Amino acid sequence: MDIDDILAEVDRAGVPQEARDLQSLTRLWVAERVAPEMQPYPEDLMERVLDRIAKQIEAIEEEAGNMDPKTSFKLVVVQTELERFKFLVRSFLRARIAKLDAHPHYYSSGTPYTFLSASERQYLSAHQALLARHYAASFLSQFPHSLQRLDDSAGGVNMVDVPDVDKAVICRVLKDNVGVVAVEGTDVRCDMERGDVWVIRWSAIKERVMAGDLELI
Amino acid sequence: MAHPSPPGLTPSEVSFLCEMELVTVIPRQKQDAYTLLGGPTPPLTPPLRANLPLWLALLLKRQKRANIAPPPWLAPAALSTILESETTEYPAAFTPGPALPPAPPSLRDEAASPPFVPTSVVGAADTALPYHWLEMGEILLAGAGDDFEEPDAVRRLLRDLREVRMAKVRAGVEVLDAGGGVKMNGVGGMEIAEGRAFIGGVVDGLRKIGASKEAVRREREREERRVGYRGQEDEEDMDDLQ
Repeated sequence: MDIDDILAEVDRAGVPQEARDLQSLTRLWVAERVAPEMQPYPEDLMERVLDRIAKQIEAIEEEAGNMDPKTSFKLVVVQTELERFKFLVRSFLRARIAKLDAHPHYYSSGTPYTFLSASERQYLSAHQALLARHYAASFLSQFPHSLQRLDDSAGGVNMVDVPDVDKAVICRVLKDNVGVVAVEGTDVRCDMERGDVWVIRWSAIKERVMAGDLELI
Repeated sequence: MAHPSPPGLTPSEVSFLCEMELVTVIPRQKQDAYTLLGGPTPPLTPPLRANLPLWLALLLKRQKRANIAPPPWLAPAALSTILESETTEYPAAFTPGPALPPAPPSLRDEAASPPFVPTSVVGAADTALPYHWLEMGEILLAGAGDDFEEPDAVRRLLRDLREVRMAKVRAGVEVLDAGGGVKMNGVGGMEIAEGRAFIGGVVDGLRKIGASKEAVRREREREERRVGYRGQEDEEDMDDLQ
């Protein structure tokens, strides 16, 4: 632990971990709903959030028998918040699955594969195995052997469909000194200041979003 | 299983986000602090004001356990001033958003951004529209209209503002370009949700039209960069020889 860590601990003392997790999860959810590509799965964050949700459900179950009107209203509040959290988590995961389904071959190898959680990997391979078996049984087996592959890149045309990484996204600058972002092949140079909102290509700001300098909105 | 709607937030998702904003409530009943998943809430003791997330404030309001104090910028006087500057001072751009929260103390820390900055509590700035202005206004008018002094005036001003700003979004289409690079400071959450499909469609469409020209240029730039590096190396070699 160096001095930066100690300072950071002091600064963070004002905001509870729960509130910070809610903000991170919300930001990731928006990014996942908006960006053309998946971002790394937030392992630690999801573990903390899911753990808290499980505990909250337990607490609700324990208090559900209490007939005192004050407690019952408290339960309404707690349950409402629980539903909001569950929506957030569910929508986040479903947005990721939608991307997995749209570009399964792209996410099954290389860097994109490392962005998946264990259960997403399992889903991807099981789903792909089922599909492959189904295609083979229904029509692929009747093709000549050389034409049966689903990820052929012969003839200069890649069969693997990739997400459109140059898609326009709208982002907000979160930090000072982000600097100038250039879009390759065009005259676009964006001098990003904190608080700015920009329409720009996803490919130009991808790294900065993952580093937390920018957020998608 | 997979998410059914296309990329981009739907209006109800935007109002879901807006419901996380803090608003000020004036409790009518004593309530203990709640331990929630998003952190604890302050205990409520009438008549002390407290800041709560909008969804919780609405729940308390519906049960007549609290009143909501409308945010300062949602007062008719403040809205007319903003409308005035929206038409005269900034005829082509949006009026700038509220002042930024202080920068995160260390680079590793996450910076706060809407809906997690308190721009709609009592004591917030009344000179600028926050990010979730339209949603906040609509939700509060629908759920806590009787807490406003002049709800109809507020409603009318919100509609005027919305029209002025939507016209700006439409006019802004002319500056859109294949690479993007358009600044939209001060834009609201719902305005983005509405305009996203169109803005994104125009930018992506222009990109596809100019794709081959761009590819040529990118190739040339890379080539120039490579030649540039080699040129430097050559000079260094020359230095070595001398």
